[in-house]
Parts: sequence; structure tokens; C-alpha cells
Amino acid sequence: MSIKPGIRYGIISFGILFYLSILGLPLPRTLGGFGTLALGLFWAVLVLISLVTMRETDQRRYTTIEAVTGGLLISAIAGFGMALVVGLFGRLIADGVQVNTVFAQVLPEWVGTFTGQTKQEVQAGVSATTALLRFALLMTSAGFLGAIVSRGLTHSSRERWHDWINSPFMYWLVIAMPFVFYVWYFALARGILGATNTSISGLVLACLFVTAVLVALRRVRDKRRRLVFGIAFVVMLILLPQIGDQFQNTVLNKIAIFSVVGIGLNIVLGYAGMLHLGYIAFFAVGAYAYGLLASPDSYFVINFMGGDGITFWQGLLVAAIVGALMGIIFGVPILRTRGDYLAIVTLGFGQITFLLLLNLREFTGGPGGVLDIPPPTLFGVDLGSAESILYLAMIMLAVVAFMTLRLNDSRIGRSWRAMKEDEDVAATMGINLSTTKLVAFAIGAAFAAVAGVLYATRQVNIFPDNFALKQSIDILSLVIIGGLGSIEGVVLGAVAFAGLPEILREAENYRIVAFGALLVAMMILRPQGLLPPLEHEEDIDVSDRRQDAWLQIFDAEEDDQDSAETGATGTD
Amino acid sequence: MPLFECIELSKAFGGLQAVDNLTFHVDQHEIVSIIGPNGAGKTTVFNLISGFYRPDYGQITLDGDDITGLPSHLITQKGIARTFQNVRLFFNMSIMENVLVGQHSRTKGGVFSVILRTPGYKREQEKARATALKQLSFFGTRLAGYRQNQPANVLSYANRRRLEIARAMATEPKLLLLDEPAAGMNPKETLEMADNIRRLRDERGFTILAIEHDMKVVGGISDRVIAMDYGKKIAEGSYKEVTDDPKVIEAYLGTQGGSFTSK
Repeated sequence: MSIKPGIRYGIISFGILFYLSILGLPLPRTLGGFGTLALGLFWAVLVLISLVTMRETDQRRYTTIEAVTGGLLISAIAGFGMALVVGLFGRLIADGVQVNTVFAQVLPEWVGTFTGQTKQEVQAGVSATTALLRFALLMTSAGFLGAIVSRGLTHSSRERWHDWINSPFMYWLVIAMPFVFYVWYFALARGILGATNTSISGLVLACLFVTAVLVALRRVRDKRRRLVFGIAFVVMLILLPQIGDQFQNTVLNKIAIFSVVGIGLNIVLGYAGMLHLGYIAFFAVGAYAYGLLASPDSYFVINFMGGDGITFWQGLLVAAIVGALMGIIFGVPILRTRGDYLAIVTLGFGQITFLLLLNLREFTGGPGGVLDIPPPTLFGVDLGSAESILYLAMIMLAVVAFMTLRLNDSRIGRSWRAMKEDEDVAATMGINLSTTKLVAFAIGAAFAAVAGVLYATRQVNIFPDNFALKQSIDILSLVIIGGLGSIEGVVLGAVAFAGLPEILREAENYRIVAFGALLVAMMILRPQGLLPPLEHEEDIDVSDRRQDAWLQIFDAEEDDQDSAETGATGTD
Repeated sequence: MPLFECIELSKAFGGLQAVDNLTFHVDQHEIVSIIGPNGAGKTTVFNLISGFYRPDYGQITLDGDDITGLPSHLITQKGIARTFQNVRLFFNMSIMENVLVGQHSRTKGGVFSVILRTPGYKREQEKARATALKQLSFFGTRLAGYRQNQPANVLSYANRRRLEIARAMATEPKLLLLDEPAAGMNPKETLEMADNIRRLRDERGFTILAIEHDMKVVGGISDRVIAMDYGKKIAEGSYKEVTDDPKVIEAYLGTQGGSFTSK
């Protein structure tokens, strides 16, 4: 039966909710009118996860009654538990106890988000029993929804689930999503929906649009359709900067710039398999190379260039060359180190670069950074606006992604991936490990460096702090979260790492916790990343599996004792 | 002049003399097997030949070129390919890609020609694909066909071994080193593998040096057999000569043992 595990997961869910809420996860407050709905959905998801976990632990499927009993138990325990706690805190606050000296987030407003009361009402101790009861019952019914969905998910076999995902309805739904979000974004930005404060919600829609494009592109395999939708998406992307306001474009260009950096790291880590923890150094080198040669205040420009800095376009070229050289110079000493040792040595390189930027005051400006970096210009037109930078970043992203795709599907890409899987064997296949590694470092570093140029001009003023260890970790995480070895994955990772923090800005305290939790959950539930390279997404297509099953029968009839294709592998 | 020669090859790991003054040769179009009990130093010989280890002493020549102590990738370029005792494929790459990796040293495309897809690079890739497909088809439809774009980890154990051989073939070697090609296979697969090894020589013209434990395979394929024990060569000759050699019987079965072939 599902009663005991239901109670257990109810208590766990309550614990999670309580923890998040005292950390200041004020969902209703952040999202305004949609708050209760969002909380309900959150609740449903929680119940869903609990039930799926219960099923996995029990190693069997639940009947409808069991699923509903379990779901109701979980949500009721969590819902009434939360109501009780909120009521308790409300009482304490009304009695004048300073609860927020212990739980900093538990303010009268916090209670109010659950009870619908104003601050004054909470402080006055107006009874909220009915409101809390209503809240608990509402959340219990959300749990009921979760139970029904979970029953739908867990009761179908893997193949049926697969068939459902592959159904034409889902196919067209996935393709339709980018258009839906795009139109929605457009309507919102143009005020057609009547809303006023649209910056954040527009950004959410823009990010969703990008995500939907990535998912749709992955789903459409047919070449002609790919071309048609690909062109449609490209046109939409070209017009995207025209829709957004300055804030949205600023965030979007950050996403694009970090995608470029991520794609560079993806070459080093995702393809060639080298854990480079100081990768931000190449980004920094690109940014500083342009900054120091272009900013009118820079030591180099004043003393050697007669006050005339280089242009943005020259900066790109210089950065690509300097970046590639840096990649090689940093690469040579680590040719013979592998795995953990490589990570530690590269971590050191990152720190050295950071400290040099910080301490070579005379040249780099030290902690004061490089200021007044000129914007790009083309035929005298200033391209420094968020919109222009977004265009530049998208073009750069497209070029870099194109180059990476071609490299990956070539003898060079294959040698990277072979080396990642087994260095010794790669060597016996005639792959020169040293040059292969150096090529990966050089290309990855060059990508990061050109992204650095764009970043420098976007920021106008750059400081060593922009290139500290934390940023290195962020870029590493965005590549891993997105999916090692996949370009769509990296872009999605960049949406998550550059976009989400802006979206969650109102819930700043909650952001770090959420990120930590996201990382942990990702590594457990989906270690291959959100959008991993296609060949990892599923070992083998269902159709192929069926074909193999058929072959096995065929083989058996032929008395061919070929080992079962999907069965045990290797007794060696 | 023999195609391949090891002269007085020696390698010690600390106090253990893994390979001791070993001299042997392989002629063009010959299949030579190395046998010996566990720990006799057979795989160490392969590792020395393929450049994983540097020999302490001795010389290895291929086609008259001294290849002693060269790095692995140069040895492969000179024309020696190997398989591994415990199958070591690139499991997350497709079957086709595994074999294409074998073509690495036979192709040249650099970063810029790859990005620009120059006509020369395209031609080269088409050729590489054709070669790869040819090697895959050596094993009939087991590797080629609808399977070739699936990752290597979906393959059964026996097919993994076959793919490893196809991958080695794709480096276009003069000498193919097979480390226990039939290990872990069932009797039927073993027979098929023996047949394949013969075909490798007869149809594809490879010269083969194999380590094998299965005496049926050794007897079935070998022109010559070399027996090793404690890093030394203890016998060399035809299958019959070697298996009848008292030193070989002693190495396998101890001094009290009976005849090896009557087993």
C-alpha cells in the first residue's frame, strides 16, 4: 500500500517547502497574481516527484487508488503542515515575538503571502484560520492533480511513454512552441496584452522562446522541414532584438556572449575531455587585449599608439590570435597531465591570470580596471547599443557554432572525442595526442577571447573581478548543465546561467540555493545535461530496439549464437 | 628480409623481467601466434611493439625501419595496428566513427580545410568513408548497414571484438597485432573468428601477429607459433612442434604433466 510511503514523502515534502519558505522563497509575492497558481503547480510537481520516487523504490506500479491516496496524503501533510507553521508564526508575530531575528525572512508579509492578509492585519493578530484552511485544501487538490499526472506517467510502459513523446501531436506541439512564445513576447512588448511592467516577464518569454527553438530544432530530423523551420527561426531571431527593450536585449546579449564562451569550453571539455578550470583566463585575455589596445586611458594606447586605439574589428583579430597563442602556451605544460591533475594545474593558470590583471597596475589598471572601452563602429555608425551588441553576439554565436559543428564532424573532432574516451587507444589509432590537445586548446581559447572582446565593449569598463574563479565555475557549470558536447545544450545552459539570475533577481536570496539544488538534482537525475548530444540521449531508438528483437529471433532460428544485442556485455 | 623483427627485446618492471632477450620475426603474409601461460609477457611484447612502453634493450624493425621507442601514433603511421585484450572501443562514438578514427593517420585535413570544407578535404573524407565501410563489410552485415550509425556501446561482446579489428584494419597496417581475438567468445563465434583471421590474411593481405589462448584457434590459423614463459621464448616452430615441445608442456602443465595435445 501507499499509505506509509505517502506519509514519509509527505513529511519530506513538508520539510522541503518549509526550508524553502523560511529561506524566503516567496513565490506568491514574486509572481503577483499567478503566485497561487505557481505554488499549486510547484506542489503538484513535488507530489509527482515523490510518487515517481515511491514507485522506483517499491519497484512496481501503483494502482489508481494507491496513487491518489499517496498523492493526497503527501499534499495534505505538506499543505496542512505549512498552514500550521504559517498560523503559528502569525500568532507569534501578533504576540510581538521577533521571529525574524532567527528566521530572517519570516516577516508579517511572509505570513500574508499565504493568508492573503495585509501586514497590519497580521500584526494585529486577525484570525486567519479560514484562509489557512482554504490554502491547505487548495494545495491538497494541487497534489491530487500531481497524483493523476503521475499515475498517467508511471502506469504506462516505457514504450508507450516513448510513443506518446513521438506522437505527431507532441511533434507539432514542440514545433509550435517557439512561435507561441515569440508572438506572446511580441504582444507583451507592444502592449497588446495591456500589461505595463513587462521587462521581466518579457525576458522570461524571450528565454522560453530561445529554449523552445533549441528543443524544436532537435526534434525535427527531416532535412527539408529542418531547413524550412530553421529559416523561420533565423528570421525570428533576426527580428528578436527589435522587439525587446534595452534590459531584455542586455540580458540576451549576455546569454549569447556566454554561449560563445561555453562553446569554446565545450571543445576543450566536451569534445577533448580536458577539465580546464582556468578557462576564464582566455576570456579575460580577449577582453583585456581589446580593452588595453583600444581604451584611450590605457597605458599602451597612450605610450605606444599615440592615443589612437585599435578598432573593434581589429580587436577581434588580435584577440583570436592572442587567445590561440595563450591556449597553446598554457597547453604545452599540461600536455602530459590528465584528469584531476590537469584540473588543478589549469585552476592555477586561471588564478595566475587573475592575479596578474589585478597586480600589474601600471599596465592593466589593477583593481581599477580598464575604462571607457570604445564601442564597435561600422562605417561611422556606433554599434554600442544593447541591440547592436545583441546582433553582433548572435552573429558571433552563429559563426562559432557553425565552425564547431564542422570541426566536430571531421577527423579533428573525431580525434578529440577518441582522445576523450581513451588516450592510449587514440594514440594507437595514429592520433598525435600533443597536437590534438593543442589544437583543442587553441580553438577553445580563441573562441573565448573573441567573446571577451565583445564582452569588454558591452561592459565598457572591465575589472579583474569580471574574470575571477567564480566566473570560471559558472561557465563550467553552464556547459555541464546544458549538456557536455552539444551546442544546443551550451546555449540552453547559457540561458540558465545568464538569464535565470536576472529573472530571479527579485528572489535574490533564493537564487543561490536554487542553483545549488539545481546542480545537485541535475547531476543525479540527468548527468548527461539538459540537451546532451543526440547519440547520448537514448542508447538506441525504439524502432532499432524492435528491429534488434526481431533479429534475435531470427538469429536463434538460424542457430546463430550471436550474443544477445541488448543483453550482457563483456565477461572479460 | 622479414617484414617485422624483434631483436633481443627486453623490458623489466622493477625486479620483474617481463620480457627477456626476446628475438623473433614475422614474414610477409604470415600468421604467427604467441602462446604462453598467464604472465608470460605476451601482452607486454605487444605494448612494446605498439609504443606504450620503451624497451630497456633491443630493437624493433618494420620493413627495415627501426621503430624502437617511437611514440604510438608514429608506429601506427609506419604500419602497425593492434587490438586489445579487454576490448577498448570508443564506446560513445558511432560504429562508423570508430572505424573513421582508424583512418586518422591516413588523412590530412587541417583546421581550416575542415571548417571551409575544401574540395580536397571532401574528397579525402569520401575516400576515408569508403575505406571504413569496406572494413566494416568484412564482417558481413554484423557491423555495416543500419547499425553503423549507432554508438558502439549497443554492440554485443563478439561484435565489439569484430569492430575493434575493423578499426585496426582501417589504419591500413602492414602488420596487425591481435591480442586474444577470441577471448570470451562461445565455440561458434570462436570458429568464426579463426576463419576471419585467415580471411584477413588471404583476402586482405594482412600480416598477423596474434596472442591467443584457445589452442583450437592457434592450431587453425598459425603458420608459426612462438611459446613464451617468464618473458623468454621457450619454443618456436609449427603448431605441432611447439605443442609437443617438452618445455612448453612443462610451462603449461608442470613437470608431472602429460602430453599437451592429448588433452
